[in-house]
Amino acid sequence: MGKDERFDVVIIGGGPNGMTTAAYLAKCGLRVCVLEERTECGGACETVEPIPGVRIYPHAMLMYASAAPGFEQLELHKYGFRMEWDPKDLLEADVGGLACSDGWRSITPKDQMGWAKLGGMLGQPSFTRELMRSAFWCPPHPPEVEVTDENTPYMQVYRKYQPDIWTPELREMTMFDLLDEHCETEHFKTAMAFAAWASGAAGHWEGVAVPATLCVQLLTLPNMGRTSIPRGGLHGYFHAILRAAVHRGATIRTSSPVDEILIEDGRAVGVRLRETAASGGRTIRAEKAVIAACDVHQAFLDLVGPQHLDPGVIQKIRDISLKNQTLYVSTFHTKTPLRFNDRFKNVPDSKYVGPDRHPMAGIFPCDSREIYYENVADVDGRKGQPTVPPERAMWFQTPPQGFDPTDCQGHYPRGYISPAFEMAVTSPDYHVEGEDALDRHKEDMDRFMRESFSQMLDGLDDDNILHHWSASGRDVEFRNTGLIGGTWCGSRHDEDQLWTNRPIPELARYRTPIEGLYHAHQTSGHPGGLCLMAIPYNLMHILIEDGIADPGSWWYASPYYIPQEGKRSAMRG
Amino acid sequence: MSNFSYRSDYVYDANDPFGHMQEEFPRESEFDVVIIGGGPNGLIAGAYLARAGLRVVICERRFEVGGGLATEENLYPCYSSNPHVLYHMMVDYMPVIRDFDLDGPALTWIKPNAQTGIVFEDGSSLLLTRQVQDTKDSILKHSLKDATTFGKVIRDWKRIVGEIVAPATYIPPMAPIDITMAMERTAVGRAMLEIGEQSPLEIINDTFEHEKVRTLMLYAACMWGLDPRETGLGFMVPLMLDRTMNKCYCYGGSHKFAGALARQVVKHGGLILEAAPVKKILMEGGRAAGVEIGHEGRSIRAKAVMSTLDPHTTFLDLVGPAHLPASLKEEVEGWAWDKWSFNTLHIATHEPPKYATDDPWINESFATVVGIESVDQLLAHWDAVVAGRIDLGAFGGHSTCESLFDPTLSDRPGKYVSMFQIHAPYDLEGGWPERRAAIEAAMLAKWRKVAPNLTADTILATSMEDPEEIEIRFPQMRRGSIKHGDYRPLQMGCFRPNLDCSGTDTPIEGLYACGASTYPGGLILGGPGYLGANKVADELGVERWWKPTPEMERYIKTYLEE
Repeated sequence: MGKDERFDVVIIGGGPNGMTTAAYLAKCGLRVCVLEERTECGGACETVEPIPGVRIYPHAMLMYASAAPGFEQLELHKYGFRMEWDPKDLLEADVGGLACSDGWRSITPKDQMGWAKLGGMLGQPSFTRELMRSAFWCPPHPPEVEVTDENTPYMQVYRKYQPDIWTPELREMTMFDLLDEHCETEHFKTAMAFAAWASGAAGHWEGVAVPATLCVQLLTLPNMGRTSIPRGGLHGYFHAILRAAVHRGATIRTSSPVDEILIEDGRAVGVRLRETAASGGRTIRAEKAVIAACDVHQAFLDLVGPQHLDPGVIQKIRDISLKNQTLYVSTFHTKTPLRFNDRFKNVPDSKYVGPDRHPMAGIFPCDSREIYYENVADVDGRKGQPTVPPERAMWFQTPPQGFDPTDCQGHYPRGYISPAFEMAVTSPDYHVEGEDALDRHKEDMDRFMRESFSQMLDGLDDDNILHHWSASGRDVEFRNTGLIGGTWCGSRHDEDQLWTNRPIPELARYRTPIEGLYHAHQTSGHPGGLCLMAIPYNLMHILIEDGIADPGSWWYASPYYIPQEGKRSAMRG
Repeated sequence: MSNFSYRSDYVYDANDPFGHMQEEFPRESEFDVVIIGGGPNGLIAGAYLARAGLRVVICERRFEVGGGLATEENLYPCYSSNPHVLYHMMVDYMPVIRDFDLDGPALTWIKPNAQTGIVFEDGSSLLLTRQVQDTKDSILKHSLKDATTFGKVIRDWKRIVGEIVAPATYIPPMAPIDITMAMERTAVGRAMLEIGEQSPLEIINDTFEHEKVRTLMLYAACMWGLDPRETGLGFMVPLMLDRTMNKCYCYGGSHKFAGALARQVVKHGGLILEAAPVKKILMEGGRAAGVEIGHEGRSIRAKAVMSTLDPHTTFLDLVGPAHLPASLKEEVEGWAWDKWSFNTLHIATHEPPKYATDDPWINESFATVVGIESVDQLLAHWDAVVAGRIDLGAFGGHSTCESLFDPTLSDRPGKYVSMFQIHAPYDLEGGWPERRAAIEAAMLAKWRKVAPNLTADTILATSMEDPEEIEIRFPQMRRGSIKHGDYRPLQMGCFRPNLDCSGTDTPIEGLYACGASTYPGGLILGGPGYLGANKVADELGVERWWKPTPEMERYIKTYLEE
């Protein structure tokens, strides 16, 4: 098998975080090797074609990353990044209404203005990008710095541009508190809180009002409208990142699961591959750093192992909460297209989109926060199967992607393909009947889903459905090993696991108790999930502090970043 | 550093709250070479030319490059399959694998000894193996004479393949008269000419006497589309038989090969655009000047436009009939698609298929022929297929359990992925959507007959892909043509796709054709892309950084040099 291979940096995991990190470090001139367990890189940014012509997006399908410095710093446009987005669509997009048990309820001007104001759209000039960057694209402050209203990045931005949003309580609020102050209708607040729950930080969690609001705003403000998805889906966006890494010289190895992070004298020096790896169980040496861009449990409990960590840290890592939305995703192949049922028939034409005129169902039912809480109790309360009746189960349908000529929707010759329908269910790890319960209940779950979606849409009856593809959180755990607990957004983004506490204070600045070992995964680093290119950007600050990365003039640090004492600053110029 | 030239008018403007936050690939750009299609040939051409210093862009219509080099989750969720699992037959000879060092830690090839078996209803079997003596041992169970003949004849056939047919795959085609003169130089060449005049059926029947041996040999010789009764392509029988005993499995799935090629393209400065269907080849002053990407309003200008698509799509759809010389238009319109396509049943199971047969090695075989009992039945099945029918009583095909070689195809530990593939017509009497269910049931029953453990308890999921669906997944495999067009004498060699274009250049200046429809043809040969890269490098005046393989050099020295 020959000698061990040697690189400057070995990155475990070829998902969006691992690959973006590789692209950054390769651009710094480092010899980088990415090891991906699956046969294809991309992690959650994937597209599959289970039967010919039917393309589905099992996970990431919406673009949250528009404000990322990575677009500019990694020059993704040169690697083919395309996004069909005409600002006219945004201006003309019909805001429509929100779906409630009694039909559509409209969004009021006060809702819209309050929402736009919170997102920085009403500032002169607009400070949306700066606000978003402050919340997500800035490393947590160093441990010796106390986090205050004055030094919290988003607090600084609000104070500078929109001081009437700034209050001393802002950092302690829930998103519902914030919406109660700035928006008007209950159904709008409920819908946004649910969207936040689905995006990673729920509407009722204490102390995350602004991050929760902004993670929905990432989706709605910079690229709202129907055409907000990159060409080729999120996998297309990922391809640009992958190619930026490869073009700068990164080595990519697929079918290469790692078995162990090698630690000598307390320092990470490389990895050993599993025997089933394409190149066999060989050792790959890392001369400067090992970066675990895989989930926090795998990284520390399996690959590092208890012999290198103290039991207190191990317990904390075990206890990291994965209670985040585990989405049960359904896609339908039907004989005739789905249509709004009688209760929802009264909609403007623009609610039907694409060549198939697919209904834009959005979120249902948005009646009140009580309904939201019932769903939360089912999912996060360690119950198991849904106890809410199908008509009160909250779900959302992703925007139809028929605008994309490379997509199947509107172009499938053998019937009609729906967009993804998603419902939160209990994570396999918290299911009271055991982690394999979702496998046993799959048929019941499928039926429950169809009944729930039928509250709003016609065409989901047995006669009309040719195929129902569904993936449970259990399937997700097997398919995408980095999505532990079947969660999409990583570990819970609540106050105890966010910013300087993410995932635990000991690991908050992407460093670990093992010298030379860093982590870069949505389960383990600020800000978490959503394929933002944020963790790698934030990690860069730390790698510069530690003298591992030395970027050229293309680099700029977050203006809100505070260097660690005694380290060199990542702020240049 | 930028690998193309363009004008960017992007500025981030905080005063425009609806402005774009990020820059996109430009509307108009200029490269040296634009390649239409990111299948194996497009990727190979792109990798060679990018490494030669040219500014290359590949436009791929799907969300992923690779074309047939695909590993797809047919049995979603959790189980992947490879449509071209059995097509990696030229790994031993492909220049691209050596030139880019694609046999190592980044890409691993597995070549099992047990290559192609057949099981009969009476429980007997036959197995073609990489090691000649093992094949002889298996034939010996049926016929001493055939075993002895095989030992002798395979030695000659391997020479024909190794000295001539395989290296010639990567050298531009010659006119028949020139081939005859070149081959006359050696005894091996003369043997090849002789066999070339016979049909596959004649060759097999003349060589072997036992019915079961003939059945498997004929299946293996013709499964990729040779007409058993047609003369003129007999030299391909040794190639097909030798290669059917030397196929490789690409560990991690065929798509890994595409991924490795794509990384070579990008590493050397090339660009790949997925989800970028080319709508039109831009023509200026009678020459190809670039392409327009469908639905996006993006255009790319280039000195050379290389199409890996079939002649119909390239010339009639993308260039347009108005720009074609009359003779070329006529040739293109006469193009014949594959005479048969495939219908494939994928299954995920708790255990691999266990064949009720006298040879346990069959259960480890890379491919296993199922449901074919005799030469007559095989011919009747193929005749029916050509006539648009599948006779549910008489069909058969080949199966493979991919998971035997590759546990990574199943995300659920300890589960297996297999497939059963039969030759099938694109235009099926009765229609595919209407007859799918019955055909799937018949295939499963046929398979279970020889592999009794494939019961409802063992099977986790099934998914069938019919010929119409091949065209839906891969729109350039028109009418389910996996090779972009039939293997018939007038569409092979210097006639593929026609006399004007078989050298990869075309009567349209600046336009090159280098897909499966160009010499040497389809399957994962990597020939057209390699030959196209040679031609474009020469025509754009860049130095070739690569040299012919040692086999090619020997062939050139023996047969081509004055």
